[in-house]
Amino acid sequence: MLNPLKKDIVRINNLVVKYGENTILNDISTRFYSSEIRVILGTSGCGKTTLLKSIIGLLKPFSGTVYIENTEIKDQDDPETVKILKKIGVLFQNGALLGSMTVGENVALPLQMHTNLPDSIIKEIVQLKLAQVDLPNASELYPGELSGGMKKRAALARALALDPPLLFCDEPSAGLDPVTSAGLDELLLKIRKTLGITIIVVTHELLSIEKIADNITFLSKGALLFDGPLKDALALEKGPIVDFFKRHEPKNKFHLSNTTDFFVENIK
Amino acid sequence: MVSISQKIITIPPVLDRNWVEQSNSLLCERNRNLILDLSKTVRIDSAGLCFIKLLNLQCKNSGKKLILRNISSDHLNLLKTCNFPFQDKESPDSFKNSFFVSTGDTFIKFMNNSVHALSVLTEMLYWGTFGLLKKQDFKRGALGEQMYQLGYKAFGIVTLLSFLIGIVLSLQSAMQLRNFGAGIFLAPLIGITMVREMGPLLTAIILAGRTGSATTAEIATMGVGEELDALQTMGINPIQFAVVPKFWAISITMPILSILATAAGILGGFFVAIFYLDLSSSIFWGELSKHLHLRDLNAGFIKSVVFSWLIIWIGSYYGLRVRGGAEAVGRETTASVVTGIFIIILADAIFSFIL
Ligand SMILES: Nc1ncnc2c1ncn2[C@@H]1O[C@H](COP(=O)(O)OP(=O)(O)OP(=O)(O)O)[C@@H](O)[C@H]1O
Ligand SMILES: [Mg+2]
Repeated sequence: MLNPLKKDIVRINNLVVKYGENTILNDISTRFYSSEIRVILGTSGCGKTTLLKSIIGLLKPFSGTVYIENTEIKDQDDPETVKILKKIGVLFQNGALLGSMTVGENVALPLQMHTNLPDSIIKEIVQLKLAQVDLPNASELYPGELSGGMKKRAALARALALDPPLLFCDEPSAGLDPVTSAGLDELLLKIRKTLGITIIVVTHELLSIEKIADNITFLSKGALLFDGPLKDALALEKGPIVDFFKRHEPKNKFHLSNTTDFFVENIK
Repeated sequence: MVSISQKIITIPPVLDRNWVEQSNSLLCERNRNLILDLSKTVRIDSAGLCFIKLLNLQCKNSGKKLILRNISSDHLNLLKTCNFPFQDKESPDSFKNSFFVSTGDTFIKFMNNSVHALSVLTEMLYWGTFGLLKKQDFKRGALGEQMYQLGYKAFGIVTLLSFLIGIVLSLQSAMQLRNFGAGIFLAPLIGITMVREMGPLLTAIILAGRTGSATTAEIATMGVGEELDALQTMGINPIQFAVVPKFWAISITMPILSILATAAGILGGFFVAIFYLDLSSSIFWGELSKHLHLRDLNAGFIKSVVFSWLIIWIGSYYGLRVRGGAEAVGRETTASVVTGIFIIILADAIFSFIL
């Protein structure tokens, strides 16, 4: 279903991830193209965050490999991996801002660490990024003083600080109102257009999937069910993906086999 | 015709938690068939549903029958939806409880913990020294800030406590020494005790409580909030960012604090010598310098450096191994302080033999 001719930026080969004895991801292989917006979706707890974390090397896979720009992602001490990581922005599901620093310092951190820009420029960039996510006045606040949605946006500003060619977002719009989340979608589309970056988004929002996704990757119980253009997925007739898009409730929610029957006299 | 004994129970209009609370003795009924008459029932809550389900299961298991009479079809459907098989946790089989297995498990756990602790130690030492040639991943001014936090701010309490301990120790000794007319030995006694033992030890115990707990709590909170993960994805080494500034700050300030603590303790002894034993100050200092050797000073210095590393090592080990939420942070912090103080006293005992 994936187009073999397109240039890819991330390649995942036969990835298996386990927590202890629990297999969370089972034999996932896929590719993300450059400059696309890829949406990873699936029901809650199916392993989307786990997939993101193993792509960026936070989780050691049980087996399988991940390549980003033809570099294999190994552990965090590998200098090649660190070089690649500097080109990746990550927006965590809960923001993961450093609680002991102000929002401005948080956004400035990757700039201070990885560039030699003078402080005045860094300050400007911080203001620019915060304005982009519509938080122009939050620079002096601590993350604890922000609302849930503001934390998300501040974290996005930090992820974008180095203008990474590859951006991962874990549920960027969870907890945001429809207007703000639509604004976020616009922002993602805009930065993709201006900077040509690849964006990998985990989200459940049907509206935003339809708006931003080029391709989707659908996970179910740790396996990859569908991988390909959004319009192909929408054209499907039945199956879990259609259930997802049509908001069908799952069949067999409770497994009713083996149940005890009741003896009944005279149903009213 | 033999009538099978049976019991008819009329269920009230509302079968809810209250009714179940009063009638749960029915769950012990084993000898009769039960008939629940639900003709009047209009509402059943979750407790009621589960009650009927359980009753049904129970009757089945004891070979009896539960009959639902006059149940409305809605209620029957409700009952059917909650009639999913109950998944009890596997009961532990006897093998898992056997002596050998539990011993082996404990041993493996212990080994894993030790390996983890050692890897934290090596990472801390590596990134604090040679690793600095590769990259310097800490905030500007982090070292100064840490030295201020864990050195300067601890200065008051450390010197005050050692001064008091110095007075107490010398008073106790002075009373005995005076009985033998040997008051003059107070100077070397308190001097050597303070330099070799009490100065470094007291400082270490106070810093284990202050800095050890703060380190654990800080790193654990960062771990729980995925901040450490976030640092890694920014290509920032979390050990260098969070641990190394503290490592250097404590390595530098702890010997200084120890020296100050020692001096404060000796000063306490000095006051006791002057006011309680009526010694002259020149005799006190003279005796002290006569008996205090360089090797005592070295011992105190080495101890304080090693203790400082132990504190920061244990603090960050407990912080890095945290799993869970706020409660886990508290638990690891407590464990870190207790272990820290224990290990420091243990190390002190070992030093007594080798230094
Ligand atoms: N640190 C962990 N240790 C053990 N199991 C974990 C851990 N983190 C996640 N899991 C398990 O892995 C599975 C997948 O979790 P993951 O966070 O990837 O789900 P998700 O698809 O991101 O869900 P959501 O949409 O709710 O965020 C879950 O069953 C979860 O219990
Ligand atoms: Mg998730």
